[in-house]
Amino acid sequence: MVGLAPAFLALTFGLHITMVNLGIGLAWIVPYLKWRADRGEKELEGVARALMRFYAATYGVAGVFGTAFTVFLLSYYPHFLGFAGDITMIPFGLAIMMIVLHFFSISAYWYGWDRWSRKTHYFIGFLLGTSALLIPLGFRAVFAFLNIPAGLGYDLVHHKFYLDVTAALTKNPTYWPLYIKSIVAAFTTTFLVVMGTYAYKYFIAESEEERAAALKTAKMFAKPAAIGLGLMLILGLWYAFSLENVPYKFNNVFASLGWSVGEGKAYYNVSWLFVLKILFYLFQVVAVAYAVPALLKGRLTKTHGKILLYAGVVAIITIAAGEYLNAFSQYPFFVAVWPDILSKQVPLSKLASYGIHIPAQALPTVVNTVNSVVLLDNTPTTHHILQAMGIAKFFPQTSPVNQIAVEGPVVALTVGFLAFLLIAAAYLVFYILLWPSKAKAEQVVEAEEQY
Amino acid sequence: MSAVAHWSSYPAAGDRLLSFIGIEIHWAILQYVLGLPFMAFIALLLYLRSKDKAWMRFARTLTKGFIIVFAVGAATGTTVEFGLVLLWPHLTEAAGRYIYFPLYAEIFAFLMEVVFLYMLWYGWNKLSPKALAAIAFLGFLGAWYSASMILSVNSYMVAPTGVMPAYKPSGVYLYSQGYPKIQVYMPKDLVPLLNVTALKTAAHVDILGVASDSVKVAIPSSVVQELVREAWSGVKLQNSVLIHFVNKTTVQHLTLEQVQAIAAKLGVPTASLAGAKTPVEMLLSIPVKNVLDYILITTVKHIGFMSITFKSPVYPATLMHTIGSALTVSGFTVLAGYALRLLRMPENADPEYRRYIEKAFKFAAIFAALVIAYQGFIAGHEMGRAVAYWNPEKFAAIEGTSEHILSLSKLLHTDKIMPLIAYGSMNAKLPSYDKIPVNYCKCSLTGSPPVQDCRPPIFLHYVYYTKIGLAVLLGLYGLIVALVVIRDKWSLIDKTLNLVRIRGGTVPSRFWLVLAPVAAFTAQLISTLGWAVREIGRKPWTIYGVMTVDVARTANPAPAWQLALIAIFLLSIAFGLIYAVYRILWVQGKPRTG
Repeated sequence: MVGLAPAFLALTFGLHITMVNLGIGLAWIVPYLKWRADRGEKELEGVARALMRFYAATYGVAGVFGTAFTVFLLSYYPHFLGFAGDITMIPFGLAIMMIVLHFFSISAYWYGWDRWSRKTHYFIGFLLGTSALLIPLGFRAVFAFLNIPAGLGYDLVHHKFYLDVTAALTKNPTYWPLYIKSIVAAFTTTFLVVMGTYAYKYFIAESEEERAAALKTAKMFAKPAAIGLGLMLILGLWYAFSLENVPYKFNNVFASLGWSVGEGKAYYNVSWLFVLKILFYLFQVVAVAYAVPALLKGRLTKTHGKILLYAGVVAIITIAAGEYLNAFSQYPFFVAVWPDILSKQVPLSKLASYGIHIPAQALPTVVNTVNSVVLLDNTPTTHHILQAMGIAKFFPQTSPVNQIAVEGPVVALTVGFLAFLLIAAAYLVFYILLWPSKAKAEQVVEAEEQY
Repeated sequence: MSAVAHWSSYPAAGDRLLSFIGIEIHWAILQYVLGLPFMAFIALLLYLRSKDKAWMRFARTLTKGFIIVFAVGAATGTTVEFGLVLLWPHLTEAAGRYIYFPLYAEIFAFLMEVVFLYMLWYGWNKLSPKALAAIAFLGFLGAWYSASMILSVNSYMVAPTGVMPAYKPSGVYLYSQGYPKIQVYMPKDLVPLLNVTALKTAAHVDILGVASDSVKVAIPSSVVQELVREAWSGVKLQNSVLIHFVNKTTVQHLTLEQVQAIAAKLGVPTASLAGAKTPVEMLLSIPVKNVLDYILITTVKHIGFMSITFKSPVYPATLMHTIGSALTVSGFTVLAGYALRLLRMPENADPEYRRYIEKAFKFAAIFAALVIAYQGFIAGHEMGRAVAYWNPEKFAAIEGTSEHILSLSKLLHTDKIMPLIAYGSMNAKLPSYDKIPVNYCKCSLTGSPPVQDCRPPIFLHYVYYTKIGLAVLLGLYGLIVALVVIRDKWSLIDKTLNLVRIRGGTVPSRFWLVLAPVAAFTAQLISTLGWAVREIGRKPWTIYGVMTVDVARTANPAPAWQLALIAIFLLSIAFGLIYAVYRILWVQGKPRTG
C-alpha cells in the first residue's frame, strides 16, 4: 500500500509518460508523412495533418501532467528536489532546453503548415524529431541516477555534493539500456497505435480516398511495428541484466519468478506487474502475427482491424505498466541502490566503479543527507521493509512527505480539480479534436477568412 | 560605484541575469495570455449583443494570436520552473516546504488554461457563440487564476507575511533596534532550551505574544538570514550562532532519552546521534535545518499554510498592477496590429474588411487608454504605496533620496508631493537612502551575507523614473488615440482635438498610426523595467528579510560560458517566436488544402 503522495505522483506521471511516448514517435512520423506527401503521395497530407493535430493535443496533455508531476514532487518532497537541484544541472538543463525547442518546433511546424517554405518546414520538422530524442537523453540520465547515483561525489573543501556528468553517463550500467529501450518502446508503441488506428479507420472511412490513405498508412507502419516488438524483447533483457547491479530493485521484480541476485529476497514484490506487462506484450505479438500478414497481403478484415486497434491501445497500457514497474520496483526509495548500500548488499568498495567518490571522512555526512531525502513514504509497508532490511535506525521517524501538502482540504481540492479537468480534457480531445467536424456555417466562413 | 558594478556586487550575478532573461521572456509572452483571452471574451460579448460579424472575426483573430504564443509560453514556463530548481534549488526547496500551496494550486489553473484556451480555438466551428463566450471566460479566468497564484509567491518574496519594516513614515529609522524583523511562532517545547534574556538583549528578539503551542516572536532579519544560511549549509547547532543562546543549564538537566525524543520530533534519525555522550553534546549535534524547519512549519501552520502567501502585505497591489500591465501590453499590441493594417489598407479594399479593421482598431484604442489610466491612477499608485510601507530600502532607492546622486524627483520637484502620494500625508517623510545602514542585513557575529552593501542599488532611481516617464508618454498617446476614435460622439472632444491641431475623422492620421508599434514596444519595455525595479530592488535578498541570493543559489553554479550559452539559446527561441508570429499571424498564408 502506498501513501497519497506517491499515488498522486504515479497518476500524473502515468498520464504524462504515455503521452510523451506517443509524442516521441509522432515527432518523426508527422514530418516523414508530410515529406512523402510533398513528394507526390498527396493522400498522406491529410494523415499527416490529422496525426499532427492529435500530436499537438497529446503533447499539450503530456506537458500539463509533466508540470503537475514536478509541482507535486516539489510540494511533497521539497528536500529531495532541493538536493537533486543542486547536482543535476547538466542532465535536467539539457532536457529543459530541448523541451523549449520542442514546444517551439511543434508550434512553428503546426501553425506554419504551408506558410513556411518547404525547406524551412522540413528543418523545423528535423528540430521537432531531434529534440524529441534529446529530451529523454537528459531525463533518462536522471532516472538512471535514481537507480545508481553514478558520478555522485562529495567535495570536502566546499562541503557540498557534486555530479561528475561524464561518469554519470558512462559508468551507470543502467543508463544506456534504459534510454535506448525507452526510445525503441516509444517508436514501437506509436507505430502500433498509428497502424491500429488506420487499419480500423479503413473500415469506417467515409470516402474511397480516406480508405486508400488509411490502408496505405497502416501498411507503412506494420513492419516497423513488428521489428520494434522484436527489439523490445532484446532491449528489455538488456535493461533487466543491467539491474542486477541493483539487487533490491531486481529482486522485487524477478526473485519470486526464480531469477534473483544477492540474498534473493523481494521486499516489495512487483513481479505481478512484470507478468502483466509480459501478457500485454504477448498480446501485441500475437495480434501483429495474426493481423499484419493479412494487412500486407491486402486481405484485411474488420476483425483484423479491430485486433490491431486493440494492440495499439494495449501498447499504450504496456508503456504505463513498464514505467510503473520501473518506479514501484524501487519503492519506497528514491534511489534504488541505496537500501542495498545500507544493508551491505552492495559493498561500499563497488561504488568507485560507478564513478561515485565519497571521501571516508565525509561518509557520515553523506549517509545522513541521503537518508534524510531518500524515502518516499512512512506507511506501514515502508516501516515493514525498513525493519526487515535492518536499516530503520538510519531514517527519521518523522514523515518524509511534506505533511502540509497532503492535508485533507488539499487532497479534496486535488481530486476534485483533477476529475473536473480530466473530463474537460477528454471532451477537448475526443469531441473537439477527434470527432468529425459538424461546423456551423456562419462561423466556418469567418474562420476561413484571412486576417 | 557604477550601476553595473553595484548590481554585480551582489552574489550570483550570472545566475540572476540568466533567470531575468528566462523569466522576462516568459513574462513578455504571458502578458498576451493574460490579456488577449480577456479581450476576446469582451469581443464575443459584443458579438452576442450586436450580432455584428466584425466582432466575431475580431475575437477569432485575438484567439489565433494567443493560441500561438500560449504553447511557447507554456514551454518557457517549464523552463522557468526547472530553471528555479537548478539555479536556485534552496529557494525552491524552501518554497516547496513552506509556501507550496499557490504553486500547487497553480497547476490546476494551468490545466484550466490549457483545456479552455484550446477548446476555444479548436471548438470555434463546433460550438455556439454563447458557448464560445463562456469558454473564453473560463480561459481568461484560468490565466488570471494562474497569475494570482504565482504572484502571491513573488509577493511573499518581496514582503513575507509577518515582516516588520525598519522605517516609519514619521521619519523614524528602526535599524538600530534590529529591524526589519520577521515574526515567527517559536514552538513552546523549544523555548526552555533557549536563553530568552540573551535573545532579547543581545539579538533584539521581541516577544509579541503567546499562542497555545508557541510563543510569537519578532526576530531581526539579520539573524533570520544567518539561521537560513546555516540550515542550508548543513551546520549543526554546535557551530551555529544559536550556540550563544542555548540554555545549557536546562539542557544539562535533561536525560539523554529526553534529548533523543526532542531530536526525533525534529526529524533527526537515531543513528546520527550515536556519538554523543552528554545531553548538551547530543542537542548540539542536531542540524540547524531541523530546528529551523520545526519553527517555520509551526509558523506556517499558525498563519495558514494555504493562505500565507496571500497575506503578504504587497499582494493585492501586486495582483492589480501585474494584471493591469498585461492588459496594457495586450491592448497596445492589438492596437499596433490593427494600426499596421490600416496603414496598409488598399484604396479598393473590401468595405466590410475596412469596417472590421476600423472597428477592431477603435476597440483596441479605447481599451488601451482605459487600462493604462487604470494602471497609472489606481494599480500603480497602490503598488507604490505598498513598496513605500513595506520595502523602505527599495523605496529610498527608487525615489533617489541620496545626497550623492542627481535626484530626478528633486529636479522635477515631485519629492515635495511624494509623501502625500506614498503615505497620504504631507507631514510624512521619505526614507533617506543615506541613512539606511549599509550593513543592516548582516549578522554581527558572522558578518554574513557576503555583500558590501545591504541596500538596493541607487541606480534603480533612474530605471524607475525612465519607466514612469515612458508610462506618461504612453498614457498621453493612448489618450489622444482614444479621443480621436470617439471624437464623433462628443463635440467637446472634437473641438479640443481641433484646438490642438489633431484634425480629421475617427481614424487617426498616418503619424499616430505609425507610432502605434512604437507604443506597443514601449508598453513591453515599461513592463520589463517595472519587473527590473521590483526584482533588483530586493537585492541582496531573494526573500526579503529571510533568505539572501547566495543562500538561494545552487551549490554547484554553472560556469559563465554555460550560462551565456543558455541565455543565447533562450533569446534565439524568443526571436524565433517573434518571427514565427509575424509569418503566421501577419503575413497572408496560403489557404488550407488538407
